[in-house]
Amino acid sequence: MSDTFPAADPSMVGGVSPAPFAYLPKPLSMFARRAARFDALAANNELAPYLAFLASLARAQQTVQDALPPQADLDRAGLERAREFGMPPLDRDAIRTDPTTLQVLRALLDEAAKIEMPAPAATALARVRDADGTVTDQMLRDVLADAIPADALAEHAFVAAAMQVQFARMAAQLDTKLLGAVHPGTCPACGGAPVASMVVGWIGAESTRYCVCSLCATMWNHVRVKCVLCDSNAAVTYREIEGGAGTIKAECCGTCHGYVKVLEERKDTAMEAFADDVASLGLDILLRDTEFRRGSFNPFLLGA
Amino acid sequence: MQISRRGFIKVAGVGVAVTTVGAFGFGEAEAAVVAHVRPFKLANTMETRNTCPYCSVACGIIMYSKGDLKKGDATITHIEGDADHPTNRGTLCPKGAALKDFIHSETRLKYPMVRKPGSNKFERVSWDTALDRIARLMKDDRDKNFVAKNADGVTVNRWTSTGMLAASATTNETAWLTYKVARSLGLLGFDNQARV
Repeated sequence: MSDTFPAADPSMVGGVSPAPFAYLPKPLSMFARRAARFDALAANNELAPYLAFLASLARAQQTVQDALPPQADLDRAGLERAREFGMPPLDRDAIRTDPTTLQVLRALLDEAAKIEMPAPAATALARVRDADGTVTDQMLRDVLADAIPADALAEHAFVAAAMQVQFARMAAQLDTKLLGAVHPGTCPACGGAPVASMVVGWIGAESTRYCVCSLCATMWNHVRVKCVLCDSNAAVTYREIEGGAGTIKAECCGTCHGYVKVLEERKDTAMEAFADDVASLGLDILLRDTEFRRGSFNPFLLGA
Repeated sequence: MQISRRGFIKVAGVGVAVTTVGAFGFGEAEAAVVAHVRPFKLANTMETRNTCPYCSVACGIIMYSKGDLKKGDATITHIEGDADHPTNRGTLCPKGAALKDFIHSETRLKYPMVRKPGSNKFERVSWDTALDRIARLMKDDRDKNFVAKNADGVTVNRWTSTGMLAASATTNETAWLTYKVARSLGLLGFDNQARV
């Protein structure tokens, strides 16, 4: 592709262009928007106390994000190398050892300490704040490997919240034109697992489906009616709570027996992947009695 | 990949899942959700890709259905253009957009029907009966009206007294075969939209 000529495609004149492959996160507003969605969902949900807590945590994430310098340092040579070998451009190991990553973590923990929370959450937060360098590094490793120990879910959720801030601002500086499919069910920006997928009604992408990354919140296109986890379209069916609004369905795959939620952004434009995933815990609970297991990754809803 | 990632976040041996919700101290709220959803059921739905049957543009469609196909109570609830399909990218023409009514229409043709001479109504017949009768009538008409040579004595092998309309929502191979069958009989009045 030439850099000097605009990318005109005469065959598409009068036609409908293909939907963009990816949408980058918008760190300047995404956490505030998530907080607002958590608050809205808390108004009518059995899980209201938890949703309100996560709303506060999302506000803390926005506060931390807003205090950071506008541009994160990206390793340009690393980006080029990743592209050459078909790897996600954001190198998790390199970012883990980046000094600003620890700054972001400290700032988030300080902000989180201002939130009113139950004793187990406060204890967990204190443990993360008091952790020494080795323990902190191990927690960062676990979070960035999407491998959270079962006995420290809350501790790691705080760390994951900080990493969401750090990775979203880094992903926001990438060029979508340079992103390409890495592997099914894997974020093309940071290699993360999807938190949920969304059928959107946005101009230029009407009725296409995007997976939302659980770490950097990059959205990438994935063909509909096709398993997000194993890429098979042989036995995809949907489960939803009978009599519901029809906005959240679990896309169940008979091949890998995993499911990932599909949010109908077309029906409710306020939907937000993290908030609506947590708020629809009831669907996960009903699905526990089926052959399907939860295949998405949400640090605030592990074990569901 | 997902299995190994999630393999160890369940407490081994006990069989009870530990959740982040509980770990944060919101176990009561989680229990409230469990109690709340208990009376609810899961509805099974499907989304199935297909090709619009109207014309040879062959737009992709997604058909939404609910119910159980095996129990025979599955029904189509909604049809929309397939946004992932390279031909139409989710768009449909007015005929395609009305496909659901076409499927549920009372007058939809589902099996061979015949209106016998002198009768005022269509009757259902078996495929064997239909094909035998069509073959018989075609043979009789072809024997009577086949034109092997024109007035100048040039071989033309025409059969102009019968025509054939074939469906367009087929594969290239089916369209090719349909064409060969019709043309080898000498049929000229013939259309299956393979011309598009």
